[in-house]
Amino acid sequence: MPIVVIGLSHHSSPIALRERFAFAQTDVPASLQLLRDSGVAEEAVILSTCNRVEIYASTSSEFRPACDALKEFLLTCHGYRDPLTDEIYALNEPQSVQHLFKVACGLDSMVLGETEVLGQLKSAYDIALQHGHTGSRLNKAFQKAFNVAKQIRTETKIQRGSISVGSVAVELAEKIFSTLSEREVLVIGAGDTSEKTARALLSRGARSIIVSNRSYDKALALAAELSGRAVLFEDWAKEFPKIDIVISSTSAPHHVLDRAKLEPLMKLRRNRPLLLIDIAVPRDIDPAVNFMENVFLYNIDDLQTIADDYLKQRKEEIARCEQIIREKTEALLGQRGSQGDTRIRPAFGHE
Amino acid sequence: MDWFTGQSADRHFFLLAVAVYGLSTVYSVFLWRKGFREDNRANYFLLLLAFALQTASMALRGFRLNHCPVSNLYEATIFAAWTIVTVYLVVGVWPRLRFLGAFASPVLFCMGVFALMPGLDRPHNAGAEPVGVWTSLHAALLSLAYGAFGLSSVAALMYLTQERNLKFHKLKAVFSLMPPIQRLEAIVGRLLLAGFILMTIGLAIGGYDLFRLDHPDAHRGDPKVIWSVLVWLIYLSLVVMRWKFSQRGRRFALGAIGTFVFVLLTFWGVNLLSPIHNQ
Repeated sequence: MPIVVIGLSHHSSPIALRERFAFAQTDVPASLQLLRDSGVAEEAVILSTCNRVEIYASTSSEFRPACDALKEFLLTCHGYRDPLTDEIYALNEPQSVQHLFKVACGLDSMVLGETEVLGQLKSAYDIALQHGHTGSRLNKAFQKAFNVAKQIRTETKIQRGSISVGSVAVELAEKIFSTLSEREVLVIGAGDTSEKTARALLSRGARSIIVSNRSYDKALALAAELSGRAVLFEDWAKEFPKIDIVISSTSAPHHVLDRAKLEPLMKLRRNRPLLLIDIAVPRDIDPAVNFMENVFLYNIDDLQTIADDYLKQRKEEIARCEQIIREKTEALLGQRGSQGDTRIRPAFGHE
Repeated sequence: MDWFTGQSADRHFFLLAVAVYGLSTVYSVFLWRKGFREDNRANYFLLLLAFALQTASMALRGFRLNHCPVSNLYEATIFAAWTIVTVYLVVGVWPRLRFLGAFASPVLFCMGVFALMPGLDRPHNAGAEPVGVWTSLHAALLSLAYGAFGLSSVAALMYLTQERNLKFHKLKAVFSLMPPIQRLEAIVGRLLLAGFILMTIGLAIGGYDLFRLDHPDAHRGDPKVIWSVLVWLIYLSLVVMRWKFSQRGRRFALGAIGTFVFVLLTFWGVNLLSPIHNQ
């Protein structure tokens, strides 16, 4: 009984289609029961996340009839009757097992190497296991997938580094300050990216957030969302002695902070390190301040470059990861030959 | 083999240790270039080997002299280097801190080369009076002080490396295993303060020891005494600047490194010129 996988992901379909096939977590046990009752699958796991809906099944049927039956189940289950081209893919062994391993490792994710999908996969497997919808084949395959994910995490750099601007800013802060729990963050200008960056810092333990914006109402609203405090735009400099990190994203056409303004403020701060994150275009902070001692200035391009470098590094690790996955798949399946499959897609990386 | 059993066997062991420190220094250049992400185990084992050779060297001399070998400049220097490598090997047990070896190796190699310079290892006079407790304590405390200053300069070097990477927006800054620069700066400050306190006590004991001699005025005009006071004043100024005037960051790190380099470069010559340290 080979393992087959059928489904659709961010590689093959837009969100408008994926959301129509999504399973609510509470409906999964009943759907699994329905699938097994149909006789097409002896064992099954349904994985439904924002980026993919997939059915992993162990079946005694031939591959093509099994795929047709699984596809029909998927369509019927969601009452979908619109025409489809190649949005739904189906894989047979060994590609199906390799695909499972890639999903577990984050190689098939939209954000290459992300780890959230592993938790979602474990959760999907647990539901199937608890309701008795898995047997020896899927149990072994999923356990192996979790082991491979762990091995790849420790032996390769696929999950190393941050690949979003907000998390790069957090990493920089962690390379400058002993601990983030003592740090106060000043957000100048209530933009979307500055909000995300501030949230990322808060999630890593930053002590408090102060928001300053030309529109005081917007500052109040963002401060409320971040459980912080709003100050008038004219008064942000007064807060500086206790500030450690500044995120600036105003729409001012000139520099909001320059060397002449910062030098006396640094004395008030007793020369403690200061991280300035300038995500405004045009820039809010004069680049010359980076020449000041204990001041570290990063603009949006600097952050994006670091994020891109990390992504490049992750991509360079794909070959190593695939090699590990191939070896582990062979070990799991032994020398058993694979059946044909309808369509093999690379199933990893960014689209 | 006579090379390892004769009178100079301990120096030969130390020579080998310095050679291994040199190898480790070369390997450290590779680690620096790779942003400290490469496997540091090889460097750790190189330093462990050097430590074993150096410990053997010190043990051989200690057994031969029948006391702790800190009675001349050579011995004091290798004792200070030994404290540095011992601290590294302990903290290097944690893989995340193993990269520190890349910074410690060059310092240990320089100290080793310095110790091997001619004239530093003055032979122990068989007829001379045994080294007193106060003199031993004076030498041991100052060795520990210079060990702390050495480690402080290692941490300062790490600070400058990481600070430069952060300033120039290098990927290495976020990629490396180095601690945050604020923590590094605190380590530099604390080690420097610890070294300063040890030096102060060591010098005070040295002064008391001189006072007990038959010629208590012998220290007047002695180059080593003047030099020691000068070094003590430089470290005092660094401590005051750091804690009184918030002189942090790059300048403080440069001060810690510069002062230690000054000590390394001048210690030997000044010691040779000092009659009371060459008796």
